[in-house]
Amino acid sequence: MSDLITLLTIAQKDLRQELRSKVVTVATVFFSAIVLVILAFAIGPESIFLQNAAAGVLWVSLAFAGVISSAQSYQAELDEGAFEQLLLFPIPRETIYLGKLLFNWLFLSVLSLLILPTTMIFFNVGLGSDWPWLLITLLLGCLGFSLISTFYAALTANLRARESLLPVLMFPVIVPVLLAAVQSSDLLFSIAALPESENALKPDMLQQAKDWLKFLAGFDLIYFVLCTAIFRFAVEE
Amino acid sequence: MSQSSQNTSLQNTQASIPAIQLEDLSQRFGANYVLENISLSVQQGKRLCLQGSNGSGKTTLIRVLSSKLRPSKGDGFILGHSLKKEGDEVRKHIAYLSVLGGSYPSLTATENLEMAASFYGYDSKTAKEKITELLEKVELEKASDKLVRTFSSGMKKRLGIARVLLADAPIWLLDEPYAALDASGRILIDELLNEAVNSNKTVILASHELDRVKDFVDVTLKVEQGKLSRIA
Repeated sequence: MSDLITLLTIAQKDLRQELRSKVVTVATVFFSAIVLVILAFAIGPESIFLQNAAAGVLWVSLAFAGVISSAQSYQAELDEGAFEQLLLFPIPRETIYLGKLLFNWLFLSVLSLLILPTTMIFFNVGLGSDWPWLLITLLLGCLGFSLISTFYAALTANLRARESLLPVLMFPVIVPVLLAAVQSSDLLFSIAALPESENALKPDMLQQAKDWLKFLAGFDLIYFVLCTAIFRFAVEE
Repeated sequence: MSQSSQNTSLQNTQASIPAIQLEDLSQRFGANYVLENISLSVQQGKRLCLQGSNGSGKTTLIRVLSSKLRPSKGDGFILGHSLKKEGDEVRKHIAYLSVLGGSYPSLTATENLEMAASFYGYDSKTAKEKITELLEKVELEKASDKLVRTFSSGMKKRLGIARVLLADAPIWLLDEPYAALDASGRILIDELLNEAVNSNKTVILASHELDRVKDFVDVTLKVEQGKLSRIA
């Protein structure tokens, strides 16, 4: 119980800092909006091309915004030696990771819920009746991304070249998450765009989307266990 | 053996464990040894001052003792708990004051202490009372709801002192406690050290102000080229 309180206290601390500074919110929302607008204009007005690109664009903007948010979340920790002090409190270091993970996951999930309707407008895609599966895709994708970005951001927090090293280190590891999330989102956008005459394809496509979600959930579980277990070594000097 | 004699025996055993025991401990960064083959035993309740020029390894030694840095070679024990293997246990017995203060700039003084109190296991009612008392003690009661980013260096250090007192730990590790403090802040540190004497705390402090701390400390050690030598 006390570990849960510790975890929630750390997440609350990050949330409180962000609500006051709004540094990460402004940077990520602005960046995501720019990515969506530029890519929508680059792809052109053809509806079919826009629809095909929608899932990829959604996750590209989320991935880059996620890197900014995780790097910044540790930047705030490094000021005034606060992160060093946090590591010296008599609390399990795993709770520090899980607390920061909780905040990063919530932040990215809220951001994804802001980006989704914008993507739908710019890329001419709908949700359809299977929208809960798209919601699950966003939540699991954001969780997978946050698991890795929170871990690697801690690993590089004390390095001088942390801002350039973070994406270099984490993106190769994050590829399975992005692939599964893009595939699942793409299938769900495609189902929503199916004409009535092709409704027979829907169950098979939905099953494929669910298979990608199972892969995503499995990946999240493995990385949850792994990152939580080795976080203490990542922050040890 | 009766219950009372068992307890006495346990207490004696506990008291006989050194607060700090370093065995052939070395710390290096890359190929550069900052601390080299240091052995040291500090009994409970003793107060020790580390002296040395900038970059001599005082802060490194304090960070090793706090379990923030893992010894490169050898090991150390805090009340019998290994620095290498039992970091979580070590951290239950130490309170640490860093040069920078260690507080979150985007939180208020009260919020910083509330978070610390939660980690130290205080219930919310006791925490509230204790925080009010400590903020008065470090003369920050009027700034309790201000963000730490608006504080001067001295005020940040005072907040750090309040956190040390909140920890109620048997071992205090104080890195340059007088740095950035004005005259009243320095007196506050003197009072803090007096409190350590009265409550039998073990204190390791790094300071250049030997004259100021000589009455409080039992031993002064010089840190030079990775080695420790006794001054007084």
